[in-house]
Amino acid sequence: MKQFKHLIKPYIVWSVILIVIPLLLIALYAFTEEGNEVLTLSFTWGNFAKFLEATYLNVILKSFKLGLITTFICLLLGYPLAFIISRFSERVQSTLILMVTIPMWINMLLRTYAWMNLLADNGIINHLLSFLGISPVTMMYTDFSVILGLICNFMPFMIIPIHTSLNKMDKSLIEAAYDLGANKVQTFVKVIWKLSIPGVVNGIMMVFLLSISTFVIPKLLGGGQYMLIGNLIESQFISVGDWNFGSAISLILAVIILIFMSLMKKMDKQDE
Amino acid sequence: MKNKKKIFSKFYVLLCLVFFYLPILVTMIFSFNSSKSLTRFTGFSFRWYSELINNVEVTKAVYVSLTVAILATLISTVLGTVTAIGLSKSKKVVKELLLNVNNIPILNPEIVTAIGLMLLFSSLGMRKGYLTMLLAHIAFCTPYVITSVYPKVRSLDPNMANAAMDLGATPYQALTKVIVPMIKEGVFAGALLAFTMSFDDFVISYFVSGNGVKNISIVVYNMTKRINPTINALSTIVIVVIILVLILANVIPRLKARSLKINKKAERAIAMVLILLLAAGLVKCGSVSQSSHVLKVYNAGEYIDLNLLDEFEKKFHCSIVYETFESNEMMYTKLSSGETYDVLVPSDYMIERLIKEEYLQALDWNLIPNAKNLLPQVKNKSYDPGNRYSCPYFWGTVGILYDKTVVDAEDLKDGWNLLSNPKYKGNIYMYDSERDSFMIALKALGYSMNTTDENEIQEAYEWLIHQRDTMEPIYAGDDVIDNMISGNKAMAVVYSGDASYIISENPNLGYFTPEEGTNLWYDAMVITKDCNEVDLAHEFINFMLDEESALSNTQEVGYTSTVESAFETMKDSDYKGIDSYIPKDDNPNSEIFAYQKPNIKQKYAELWTKVKAK
Repeated sequence: MKQFKHLIKPYIVWSVILIVIPLLLIALYAFTEEGNEVLTLSFTWGNFAKFLEATYLNVILKSFKLGLITTFICLLLGYPLAFIISRFSERVQSTLILMVTIPMWINMLLRTYAWMNLLADNGIINHLLSFLGISPVTMMYTDFSVILGLICNFMPFMIIPIHTSLNKMDKSLIEAAYDLGANKVQTFVKVIWKLSIPGVVNGIMMVFLLSISTFVIPKLLGGGQYMLIGNLIESQFISVGDWNFGSAISLILAVIILIFMSLMKKMDKQDE
Repeated sequence: MKNKKKIFSKFYVLLCLVFFYLPILVTMIFSFNSSKSLTRFTGFSFRWYSELINNVEVTKAVYVSLTVAILATLISTVLGTVTAIGLSKSKKVVKELLLNVNNIPILNPEIVTAIGLMLLFSSLGMRKGYLTMLLAHIAFCTPYVITSVYPKVRSLDPNMANAAMDLGATPYQALTKVIVPMIKEGVFAGALLAFTMSFDDFVISYFVSGNGVKNISIVVYNMTKRINPTINALSTIVIVVIILVLILANVIPRLKARSLKINKKAERAIAMVLILLLAAGLVKCGSVSQSSHVLKVYNAGEYIDLNLLDEFEKKFHCSIVYETFESNEMMYTKLSSGETYDVLVPSDYMIERLIKEEYLQALDWNLIPNAKNLLPQVKNKSYDPGNRYSCPYFWGTVGILYDKTVVDAEDLKDGWNLLSNPKYKGNIYMYDSERDSFMIALKALGYSMNTTDENEIQEAYEWLIHQRDTMEPIYAGDDVIDNMISGNKAMAVVYSGDASYIISENPNLGYFTPEEGTNLWYDAMVITKDCNEVDLAHEFINFMLDEESALSNTQEVGYTSTVESAFETMKDSDYKGIDSYIPKDDNPNSEIFAYQKPNIKQKYAELWTKVKAK
């Protein structure tokens, strides 16, 4: 058995080269000033100090708000769906889960463009509305359109882990709860929900991470004024050209997310 | 009661699926549309399908996406599974450490991973292309495999493998015959996740690939300027293929039950064919640049008649690696990260910067006899006096595109301040570009758009903030083109070339450049310092100035040609009566963007971020 522990060696080398070193390179940029040669590196906290301005703090706040709302709605809509799916027969279940997965294989950008055409002022939905005699509604470039796009793209990431943990559950536990006199609500709260928490935690982490760092969807559905932390990083690298500040924001985001995740994990463990 | 509940839950599932599939359905329906519109169905046609088959770029991208996804899935599944098994037997410290490192790519925003990998590949001096994309995909897929396999391994009875070995199995046999079959669910889930991630990836691929290697996402992203329904046709095909595969996957097991042995052989045969196909493709991809002369051209997206590239390749027996960028800054980012190109097509101020930073080489005008075709008024401009380094490609202005049926002709007298006329509150698209937005504010205030005066910049910033708060504009990108064609808002700030195209599609619109002056811009072809094909690069520039190619180029793109005959022809035919095709370059208030010193550029960038981040 001991032989097996050598199996991780290739990945240790791999992860040092392709995960750790790139991160160190980013950190190097974050702590230095623009235009440094390797030999004359000058270190600075300036990139981080800059982030403390109200504008940037607002950006990160807004991103968190949006991430939390998206995650919450995904949980609210995704849990019942996962639950219902887990009640079907095995065959139907795997088909349904596949049907939830397939949209993810269609290019995310394409799906977002399709939403743009659906939601535009003169778009498909408004055409239908005016056909029904309802006056058009502005949907594009609002919180609504951005959140809708995020949910449509990320909800599968909530459904699948929850379904996995519901499916894994020992069904006899539910019967036992009923036998012991628990009603439906009690069974759900005390047995089903409790046992599905690992899936829920996984789903929350996935959706939250994806929605907090995305920049393509808010840009397309929310317009340029929809500045989130992902857009801020992207613009530092792509249009502003301040790689050092961009790296610093990336590092800050990474640290905040790591803290958030370890808190989630702690909660998860306590529940167990 | 129970039935009612069942119906309700079925209805809920249906509703969710409708929500997921609605955008896909729209995509599919409009792939059969006879016109380019994505909101109005004008008639049934297979036009986009035939264009798709003829579009080499898309077919190549499909190939790259598929092979990268398959290879990345295979490699990361093996690597991830092996590592997960090894992890369960490792010391606690090692285990925790490796798992935490493994979580980094999952927890990090994609863009951070992308930038990190880009920095890595450029500092290693690796040629960006298929291999770098594949490595990056393996790097971000493997962690997902490990996280889905590892819990399964952990829940295994550790004595299993020992028992197998006690019974005489070699460690390898214990691994493949005992452990792997027991964790195959996790392996399968991990592989599926890896495939999904890789096939759909955009951000990371965009940053780590190059030299003409593109996956579907990159092609789609570059198509945004004028949404091209061929890509809808492509996704329809992808959906149909997926459905076919699913049906087959359901049918094969049943057949398998009948003839188990034959099937095993067949399975192997299929696997072999697949591997051969992959290998053949890899060789093909690797040898894209087999013809002796290769010219690397980097241009803005949707900014050329692609047929011209084929023509050029045939005429000069060479191959062109053609790549596109979204903005000058994006081009600069790629260039400064070590990417090499032969011919670039940047804008005026960027050319000035590239000259200053010594990225370019002087043109040899003797090699460009077609230079005689150039319009006299596009030559010898401030960004490159005497055209030592650059040869004009397209030119134009920035102005306001307005809906004649909504905007009063009287109001146009306001000039740029039309954009803060409360009558049109909530009815405006600004252009999501830092320099052009500040240009508008500075011109509205009567300053130079190249000002470095802190007070003037501050005033312009306040103008923009005031306009933002009172007018609630949308800061749109290229989506403004489709939006204005469908008449979604009353006015938009656009480039003249886009205006010409939009007006030709929606004649209700008009274009004007305010008297206060505007950005007079020139995009020009330049040759880089590390160009390997100097003669061919000059031939390319000469070819683009040829009267015939210039005409088909401006017809396709809609921007104003710098070649006299093409300009005159268009003015009197296709774009007759469309003012935006004829840039007003006689207004003394109009200027050309100049190079900004880093500290000034920084200042503008910061303020622009603040304007957008409310």
